[in-house]
Amino acid sequence: MKRRGRGMACMWYPIGFTVAANPSAAVVKVNEDGTATLLTGTVETGQGSLTILAQIVAQELGVATEDVHVVSADTDTTPMDTGAIASRTTYVTGNAARLAAEKAKLMLFDVAAPMLGVKANQLDAKDHHIVVQGYPQRKVHIGDVANRARVVSGEPPIGSGYFNPATVALDPETGQGKPFATYVYATQIAEVDVDDETGEVEVVRIVASHDCGTAINPMLVEGQVEGGISMGVGFALQEEILFDAKGRQINPNLTNYIMPTSLDMPDVHVDIVDNYDPTGPFGAKGVGEPTCVSTAAAICNAIHDAVGVRVTSLPATAEKVHNLIKAKQAQEQRQIAAAG
Amino acid sequence: MDTKTAVVEKKGTLLDAEALLRAPAPAPLVPFPIDVRVPDPSRQTPAVGQRTTRPDGRLHGLGQTKYIDDFYVPGMLFCKIKRAGVACARIISVDTKEAEAMPGVVAVITGKDIPVNTFGPSLKDQPVLADERVFHAGDGVAAVAAVTEQIAADAIEKIKVEFEELPPVLDPLESLKLETPGVHAPSANIYGHKVIKKGDIERGFAESYRIFEGSFRTQMVEHVPLEPHSSLAQWDANGRVTIHSTLGRITLGRADIARTLGIPMSRIRIVATVVGGNFGGKNEITTEPVVALLAKKTGRPVKCTFTRPEEFYSSTTRHPIIMDYKTGVTKDGKILARKIRLVLDGGAYCSWSETTLGKACILCAGPYEIENLYAEAFVVYTNKTMTGAMRGFGAPQVCFGYESHMDDIAKALGIDPLEIRLRNALKEGSFSPTSQTLHSVVVRESLLQAAQRFGWNGAKA
Repeated sequence: MKRRGRGMACMWYPIGFTVAANPSAAVVKVNEDGTATLLTGTVETGQGSLTILAQIVAQELGVATEDVHVVSADTDTTPMDTGAIASRTTYVTGNAARLAAEKAKLMLFDVAAPMLGVKANQLDAKDHHIVVQGYPQRKVHIGDVANRARVVSGEPPIGSGYFNPATVALDPETGQGKPFATYVYATQIAEVDVDDETGEVEVVRIVASHDCGTAINPMLVEGQVEGGISMGVGFALQEEILFDAKGRQINPNLTNYIMPTSLDMPDVHVDIVDNYDPTGPFGAKGVGEPTCVSTAAAICNAIHDAVGVRVTSLPATAEKVHNLIKAKQAQEQRQIAAAG
Repeated sequence: MDTKTAVVEKKGTLLDAEALLRAPAPAPLVPFPIDVRVPDPSRQTPAVGQRTTRPDGRLHGLGQTKYIDDFYVPGMLFCKIKRAGVACARIISVDTKEAEAMPGVVAVITGKDIPVNTFGPSLKDQPVLADERVFHAGDGVAAVAAVTEQIAADAIEKIKVEFEELPPVLDPLESLKLETPGVHAPSANIYGHKVIKKGDIERGFAESYRIFEGSFRTQMVEHVPLEPHSSLAQWDANGRVTIHSTLGRITLGRADIARTLGIPMSRIRIVATVVGGNFGGKNEITTEPVVALLAKKTGRPVKCTFTRPEEFYSSTTRHPIIMDYKTGVTKDGKILARKIRLVLDGGAYCSWSETTLGKACILCAGPYEIENLYAEAFVVYTNKTMTGAMRGFGAPQVCFGYESHMDDIAKALGIDPLEIRLRNALKEGSFSPTSQTLHSVVVRESLLQAAQRFGWNGAKA
């Protein structure tokens, strides 16, 4: 008989390296037509981070995302970056890109100020224009300013910036210190069906509520959470590298190493927690790794709720859950016999 | 047959059809917007907060993204790596003569050909190709460059390696014991240790209403990216090498490649292509020095792509962790003291173990306010596949520990799982296990939001 259960798990996760310096640098060039080019040493590994960086630069310059072209991951042309690791790209590389864009923007303000008859500190970059703060009717197109910066002022608007999270080394004896600049938080709740005769677990649905500071791109956040949950489901129920007695892997292939496919995915509902981190670019933190952290714990708590057995070692395969149910039933029988 | 008759024959309602054609077009119920414009988020300002589509999404969808395995450069050779197949051994000899004599094989290298045969993100304990010792079954011992992938695969079968097999250390708890032979003797098997100590753990337990204990363990898993590790090396006439690679962190990757090749970084260009999945598994060099050396030796471009089995046994995996939790609580379920011991199976090489150890030790208390805490973590060598960076750096493992433990406590005390978490959750300004003041903390908010969305009974929001 299938028994339904529910379980929750919450978590916290840091952004960036533990204490160690993990800087990112970035270069932003505003082109003659008001578009921009971002040079970054980070790598697009499928998560959509280059789109996030383009959005950050676009926001700072007051242009649209498609106006920002990203050149990445070439040691001959792009500046230093610690890379696509530690959920750090949005926060660390994003801060570097924002600072680089800000510098280019300030150069544009210097050029635009005499064009608009105001001081540079009275200007704002908004909707493809350099506008006067509090009097947006007076404005000039960012392309006209960028072009003038080159052909009249002789000051091409190119900015560079870098960012490194602020940390404090840990005391070697007590481990006390400030290892990370910031953390994100999340909760996932799983609903499962457990077959109490076979031990098979089916994850019916997962509700995920994740903090990432400002969601620079909510669609990409949701994509990360869904992907993380698929990894979490595999970690919880199926995946395991097995070794023989001599230390050789016995299932190094996708036939015998069972991982979830799209057909194993539960219904997933993602909510983004409203939050703002003043140390991140436009309040953003990150979301990559945390998405797969609490899934297995939530599923195992749901199994416990469904059939009353505690899985203490992963993965919770049907065989393992079945054995735990049998052991529990045997123990209950003994208790009844003893009481009788 | 003319058209008119055809229509009459088929439908028999030619007049109706003609009438219909001549009748004035009915007006649409709602004025049809000729100028339909679906707002494109990538064209909107402000840019932040927009659900912008990724520019590479179109190429992925059309199957036009070029991964390294899709690259072909004129004159390019294919590389395959001979794997040890034994977990712990001394290498007596590597005989490559038969492989070298095969038609189509252009070059063969062994561990002895690597200029500096050690690398690693923290401890430099990993050889590019094993030369004297084998530390796990997935170690490479030789590499072949041949005109086709098939010839290269056949050639590595002809390489004869003579081993003196040694008993492997496979159990991390065995490895922890002092009398166990060192995997990297004379170095100790415990290669990383971390302690987080806060408050007075004994007093906390003494004041507790009840004390709970729980032990949990997790397994070794692979990242399983769709795209396996791959690299392609080409030298130019000035002695500069360009390496296209699936590395997720090129700046530090270049430093490792320069070190192993024994050439200045200025002579290396790394270009990372669009990576088909990383998840932490592509954060250190694998084939890059091998293809660079083979390309130099042959004067031709050389490419190497891992097979799916190599992806499992020759790249990093997730640390299995053995976790012991002990928690003292009040009658209301407030945590007064927590003691944790973690033993991480580090596999054959350090890789990113120090980072995983640190993060696991800091995070293993959970997102809770705990005044009295003692967490101690060890990472040990075993003769198994190396464990390294993988999405979460130890966090999914310890979360399984602290959250399973939390539910056991809640059940025993008769408190709702949501309620016990709300009572202990970190808040704005809370102190972390390392006594850092935390900001933008939303544990409670995420708990309540998820509970409301799920329909968890007793959710207050």
